[in-house]
Amino acid sequence: MTDAAVLKSVSFRYANGDAGALDHLDLTIKRGECVLLCGRSGCGKTTATRLLNGLIPHYYEGELEGSVTFFGRSVGDTAIEDLAGIVGSVFQNPRSQFFCVDTTAEIAFGCENMSLPESEIRRRVDKAAADIKIRDLLNRSIFDLSGGEKQKIACAGVAAMLPELIVLDEPTSNLDPDAITGLRDIIGRWKAQGKTIVIAEHRLGWLSGICGRVLFMEDGRISKEFTGDEFFSLDTGKLNEMGLRALRTSNNYLESRSGLARIKAFDGSDSITLEGFVYSYGKQKALDIPMLELPEGAVIAVIGHNGAGKSTFTKCLCGLQKRFKGRVTIGGRSYRPKEMIRLSYMVMQDVNHQLFAETVTEEVMLGAADAEERKATDILEKLNILEYRDRHPMSLSGGQKQRVAIASALLAGKKILVFDEPTSGLDYRSMERTAELLRTLDADVTVLIVTHDMELIDRCCTHILHIEEGKI
Amino acid sequence: MAGLFEADIENRGLVLDPRTKLFVMITLAVFALGGAGGDTAAVRCGTTAVSVLPLILLLTAGKFGKAAVFGISYALIKYAEIFLVPDLTGAALSVIGLLCLIFVRLMPGLIMGAYMLSSTTVSEFIAAMSRMHVPQQITIPMSVMFRFFPTVLEEFSSVGTAMKMRDIRIGGKNAGKFIEYRLVPLMVCSVNIGSELSAAALTRGLGAKVRRTNICRIGFHFQDIAVIIPTAMLYLLWILGMIGVVK
Repeated sequence: MTDAAVLKSVSFRYANGDAGALDHLDLTIKRGECVLLCGRSGCGKTTATRLLNGLIPHYYEGELEGSVTFFGRSVGDTAIEDLAGIVGSVFQNPRSQFFCVDTTAEIAFGCENMSLPESEIRRRVDKAAADIKIRDLLNRSIFDLSGGEKQKIACAGVAAMLPELIVLDEPTSNLDPDAITGLRDIIGRWKAQGKTIVIAEHRLGWLSGICGRVLFMEDGRISKEFTGDEFFSLDTGKLNEMGLRALRTSNNYLESRSGLARIKAFDGSDSITLEGFVYSYGKQKALDIPMLELPEGAVIAVIGHNGAGKSTFTKCLCGLQKRFKGRVTIGGRSYRPKEMIRLSYMVMQDVNHQLFAETVTEEVMLGAADAEERKATDILEKLNILEYRDRHPMSLSGGQKQRVAIASALLAGKKILVFDEPTSGLDYRSMERTAELLRTLDADVTVLIVTHDMELIDRCCTHILHIEEGKI
Repeated sequence: MAGLFEADIENRGLVLDPRTKLFVMITLAVFALGGAGGDTAAVRCGTTAVSVLPLILLLTAGKFGKAAVFGISYALIKYAEIFLVPDLTGAALSVIGLLCLIFVRLMPGLIMGAYMLSSTTVSEFIAAMSRMHVPQQITIPMSVMFRFFPTVLEEFSSVGTAMKMRDIRIGGKNAGKFIEYRLVPLMVCSVNIGSELSAAALTRGLGAKVRRTNICRIGFHFQDIAVIIPTAMLYLLWILGMIGVVK
C-alpha cells in the first residue's frame, strides 16, 4: 500500500521572505496515521502543512526543491483543484475560511465544486452534519455563529468531501476549552474512520490520546520524533525547554468559585470601585454585577465559559458599550462610561485594527502633545521597541505590534488596560515575553486580561475574576 | 446586518424564484422609472397596479413595518402628485412637483429592491444566475463580494471602536488624516482575510474546470406564475397601445 504523503529532502523559501522556511525536510506519513507537528513559531510546521494540502507550490510562491507525493502522485503535476477531493484542510481563523453566508451552502461548497450530483451532495451534507452533531446549525447565517461553531462547520465542509488526508493548521488558536473538546471528538471520529490526519499546533494537551506520532520541528526540519505515549508523558520543564507550551497546567481556574480571588502576593491597597454593572441585550440579561472592587495596579485575569459575559463586562468597563449606565470610581473620583473611554484601552485580539499611523513614533504620539516626545521615547525604550521607531507599525511582528499598541495607551495616560486573548496562537517563548511585559507595567496601571490560557495566568496574574452567567 | 441577500431562510413566507423577482424589478424599471408607454392610459393604470405588487410581496414576507412605511409614503406622494401639484405655482411647483415626479417613479423599484435583497439568499441568487447561463467568471466573483460585505462591515466597526479609544475624531489633532486612519487598518485586515479566504477556497476545489453543481432548489411554482402573468400583461398593453388597439 502506498503511503499517504512522502516528502523527500524538501526545501522551501517564501518569495516574500516570510519565516518558516524548510531545509531538507524528510517526512513520510502512512495511511491512517494521526501525526502532530509541533515546534516554536517559525519552525516551519505551517509550511509543512501547506505542502501537504498543495497550497505550496500552487498558492504561496517561493523556491521549492525536493519531491512531494500524495498517494503515489507528484504534487507538482496535480492541479490544486484535483487535490481537493483527496486532501481536506482546516485552518486557524474560523472567520476567514468560510465562503458562503449560510451554513448548509457552506458545507456543500466543496462538493459543489467537485460537480457531484445534487442528491449525492445532500446525502453527504446530511451525513457530515449528523456525524459532527451539528444538524441544528444547518440553514443558519454563519455570521451569527460562535468561533467554535464556525470551526465545526469548517470540519463538516471538509468531511463532506470525503478526503483521505485531513490537514489541520492550528485549529484551536481562536477556540475556548469547550469548543476544543468538541474538535477533539470530531478528530477522534475521523481517526476511527481510518482517515489520515496531520495537525500542526501550539496547544498540545487536547491531543493526548489522539496523536500516535509527534514530530518536533526546528529550523525547517524534524529534529526529534516521539511516539504519542512518550510525548504526552513529558513534563512541563522539558517541554518549555523545547519552546513548547505545557500539556496541562496544575491549576484550572475555571473550576474555582466565581468571583474575585487573589492568587499571588499583591501589596496594593487602593481599589477601583465598579457600580451598577448591569446590562441586557434586549430581554436577555448579559451582565449583573451591582458592585465590585478591583485592586488598583493588579493584573487580573477575567475568565469564564463562552457567553458568560466577559466581553460585555470589559466593554462596559472601557465605556464602549452603548446604553450602559454604570459608574467607575478611581482615586475617589467617579467616572461616567463616556469618561471611561479616556481612561481605559483595549488591546484587541487582532491588533491590526488599532494601528493607524505610518511610523511607530507617529503612532504613539497620535493624540499626545508634541512636548511629550521625550516621554514617548522612554516608553518605547521600556517596551523594547525603540529600535523600530521609524518602521511602519504594520511591518512589525505580532508581538511587536502588541507592544506598540500598549505604548500608545501608556502615553495617553490610560489607567486601565484590557487585553483580549493576548496569547492566542503564541508559542512558549512569546507567551513568556508577553507575561513578563504585563507583569512589569507601571504600578498605577490596572491590567485586565480576558483569556483561556491558564499558563499565562499562572505566570503573570495576581488575581482572577471568574464570571459565569453574567454574575460573580 | 440584515439586507444584502441575508434572508432569514426559515421565516420568509411566500418563496418566489429569484428570476421572478428580477423580472418584476426590470418591469418596474421600464414602466415606473422609464415611463414606457406613458401615453396610453391603460398602461399608466397597469403600472400603478404593478407598483403595488412589491408592497404585497413585502407583506407576505412578514415585513409589516417596512411595508407600512413604504406604503404610506408612496400613497402620500402619489396623492400629492394627483391632487396637490396641479394647483401649485411658481417655486413650490418646481420643488414639490420635481420631488413628486422623482419619487413616484423611483419608489416602486426601491421597494422591490428592498424586498428582493431581504428575501433571497446568496445561494439562491447564484443558482438563478447560473440557470440564466451567466458564466462562472461572473457569478463566482459576485458570490465572493456578497460574502465579503458583512466581513468588511465587521472590520469597519472594530476599527471604529479602536479609533474611539484613541480619541481620533474628525476635528481632533490629526483631522486631515482621519480618512487615512480609518482606511489603513480596514484595508490591512480585509487583505489578510481575503488572502486566507482564497487559500481556503482553493483547498476546497474552487476554480476546477468542471461545472459547479448548486444544491439550492429554485424553480417556478404557482406563486411565480401568479406574479409573472399580471406583470407580463403590462408589456402586452404597451404593444397594444403602440398599435392603437387600446388607449
